[in-house]
Amino acid sequence: MAEILTVTDLKKVYGKGGSLTRALDGVSLSLEAGEFVGVMGPSGSGKTTLLNCVSTIDRPSAGSIVIDGRELTKLKGRELAKFRRERLGFIFQDCNLLDTLTAYENIALSLSIIRAPAQKIDRRVREMAGLLGISDCLDKYPYQMSGGQQQRCAAARAMVTRPALVLADEPTGALDSKSSQLLLDRLDELNRELGATILMVTHDAFTASCCRKVVFLRDGQIFLELHRENDSRKAFFKKIIQVVTAMGGGMADVL
Amino acid sequence: MFSKLALRNVRRSFRDYGVYLLTLTFGVCLFYTFNSIDGQGAMAYLSRNKNPMVEPIMMLVDIFSVFVAVVLACLILYANRFLLRRRKRELGTYLLLGLSQGQVSRLLFLETGLIGIVSLAAGLALGVAASFGMSALTLSMFEINVSGMLALTFSPKAAGKTALYFGVIFLLVMALSGVQVSKSKLIDLIHGERKNEVLKPRPLGVAVFQFVLGVICLLAAYAILLIFGMALAVAIPFLCFPMLGLGTLGTLLIFRSLSGFVMKFVQSRPGLYFRDLHVFTLRQWISKVHTTYLAQTVVCILLLLAIGITASSLGLNSTLSAMTDGEAPFDITVQNQSGDTELIDFDALFRAGGFDPEEKLAWSYDTVFYYNEKEVTGIEDASGAIRVSDYDALMVRQGQSAYAGPLPALLEWQEEDKLATGNLGLACVVIPDDMAGQLEPRRQVWSADYSPEDKEGTERQLLELVLPLRERLSVRPETRLSIYADMVGNKILALFLGLYLGFTFLLAAAAVLALQQLSQGADNTGRYAVLRRLGAEEKQMKRSAVQQVALAFLLPLALALVHSAVGMKAANDIIATAGRIDSAASSLVTAGVLLAVYGGYFLATALACGRMAKNA
Repeated sequence: MAEILTVTDLKKVYGKGGSLTRALDGVSLSLEAGEFVGVMGPSGSGKTTLLNCVSTIDRPSAGSIVIDGRELTKLKGRELAKFRRERLGFIFQDCNLLDTLTAYENIALSLSIIRAPAQKIDRRVREMAGLLGISDCLDKYPYQMSGGQQQRCAAARAMVTRPALVLADEPTGALDSKSSQLLLDRLDELNRELGATILMVTHDAFTASCCRKVVFLRDGQIFLELHRENDSRKAFFKKIIQVVTAMGGGMADVL
Repeated sequence: MFSKLALRNVRRSFRDYGVYLLTLTFGVCLFYTFNSIDGQGAMAYLSRNKNPMVEPIMMLVDIFSVFVAVVLACLILYANRFLLRRRKRELGTYLLLGLSQGQVSRLLFLETGLIGIVSLAAGLALGVAASFGMSALTLSMFEINVSGMLALTFSPKAAGKTALYFGVIFLLVMALSGVQVSKSKLIDLIHGERKNEVLKPRPLGVAVFQFVLGVICLLAAYAILLIFGMALAVAIPFLCFPMLGLGTLGTLLIFRSLSGFVMKFVQSRPGLYFRDLHVFTLRQWISKVHTTYLAQTVVCILLLLAIGITASSLGLNSTLSAMTDGEAPFDITVQNQSGDTELIDFDALFRAGGFDPEEKLAWSYDTVFYYNEKEVTGIEDASGAIRVSDYDALMVRQGQSAYAGPLPALLEWQEEDKLATGNLGLACVVIPDDMAGQLEPRRQVWSADYSPEDKEGTERQLLELVLPLRERLSVRPETRLSIYADMVGNKILALFLGLYLGFTFLLAAAAVLALQQLSQGADNTGRYAVLRRLGAEEKQMKRSAVQQVALAFLLPLALALVHSAVGMKAANDIIATAGRIDSAASSLVTAGVLLAVYGGYFLATALACGRMAKNA
């Protein structure tokens, strides 16, 4: 399968002179089209920095990131904004829906930002809303919806542009277990049916267990890659917990 | 240490809170300009002529100044509260770092003092320039000879008063911010950024209905004005109040519902609805309508008033000269009401006083009015009589035709007004010259026009010679210059107070609008951050931010322009009867200054909001 994301020897250094912090210290990673990958690691392990670099919000100090055949570090200004809106989709922990817009308009807005033809917008919004099970709350404002509905709406907003890569930063972080489960099921389904490539950063072993592959980060380096293969979700979850335990006290806050 | 921190905070305020400083500076400038009017332009002219209006004008300006100071104080307190709310977190950090509340209050005290001094200095400097501009404006408006009256002056008295009033306001601000800091809890300060905003869904159908209703109200108000005309519609309460009520209600409804109406309209056009960030801009507008529509209505009405004042000053000058010509056909008229006992020989009187009538007067004429006797003239309802040759001489001097009707005959009152400067108070009969022998003299009326050079000097000399006669005779001199000065006094009173209040309200309204927009802009930073992550370009976000500010600022202006266009059309006939429009330049200047103040606020706000969107 074609590689969607290739990260090679990525380094990110904060600070100057004597007090350097190596947030990322030579991370290499690759995602094939249609993969659903989780990134786990304790606080300060570089998860968010990795995600920020991949999502073009931050620039790496060294190394290369290639998404869909394009070298990110060479893009600038408008090209970057164009790349971001056309090839990437974002889901955040605090779903970040615009509170003044209805769910429908929130989803449609990302289509108008990529300048999709107006007559196709309605069909695509409804299609995506159907897939995520939020068809009946399209005319509601975010504060009229439950947290889970909001997060699925944010997922719909991220997916509706059919991005090459969806980046999710702790998408279940603010949800109760039932809503989390619903969201993860939907993401899984989107991954299978539409072949969406998803990179998800999470703290939570259970959330991570629905991925096909989990990458463990520690102190800016890759500690381990775990593949689900044909394990059941429960078995995979157990494996993840073992790794977390093996990584030591740094992960004490996981469970 | 404290002063260093305060200085740095103020420097930052310059960048972030330009509107606050702008308001303070404009306020000081306005206050100084109107309190320094006694030494400038048309007022200097009035006091030089010992015009009785000078005192009332100054007194009213004083009273209005207190009122204006109260309005400005409220405005500054509002702006300061807005500033403090924005800085909650910073203040909380100071407290968290261990500063006592007294120390934080002292810090705010220093900052306010610093800002106060800077804005006072800038405002006074601007005020000196503005009062020069106002001198020029009033002088040109009343066609007064400019020599020696137009100078860049600084009035220490007005400056002192301004400093005093604003000093009190700043002290108040300092005290209140101190109280606010000492009253607030640390937890509230730290979490000051969090807010619960209640957004209620408002069906668009209602907005469409409200909009249509608003338009109908406005059309009804316009119809009343246009059908009955300005004069009637304003004078009759039965018409006036429904018109003003409907107009205000219509304006209110339109501002309240326009966003929803436009939304409904745009939603049916997906090509427009889904282009750029239109959805976002429109939704922002709708969500803020309920906090801005009242301010917008007030601003719209204030703008209308401001435009109205300007427009009415358009005809001011021409009405003035028309009225003066009506009341004062000659430069001077001296009425000797003791004419039945003694007639004055003016020529001899002047020559004895060293005044050469040949040289100083271009024209003079001595008339005797007689008692009207029914037996002689055959006319009952008249109190005086004038010989037809005297009548002709007076009329011909004014470029009117000689008397051509039957004799004797009663004069119309308009005709009688033209016989002297000031009031005669006689209903006159024109009689053939030879009839005068049968009548008793009643009043002696001497009129003259001065030679063109040094009219004021001539008048002074004449009055010096005439006034001592009052000791034994009932003598009443009236001059065109004094009548003109009286009228100028009245008009200036209206003009000054109108402009003073107009500008104050405009300033207040524009500042409130600007502060509202800025605080909304700051609330929006989170939303712009989301847009950026979705891949919206900087240019698009900036445009959306500026569009939102423009909607808040330009809609009231647009509607006010429509209102005043209708008002002008109704007032057109009144202005047309007043005659020439020759003070267009000064009116344009006034309109320009109004727009500059409003536009200044718009630009400052738009720039700040654009920057917030860019940096989100």
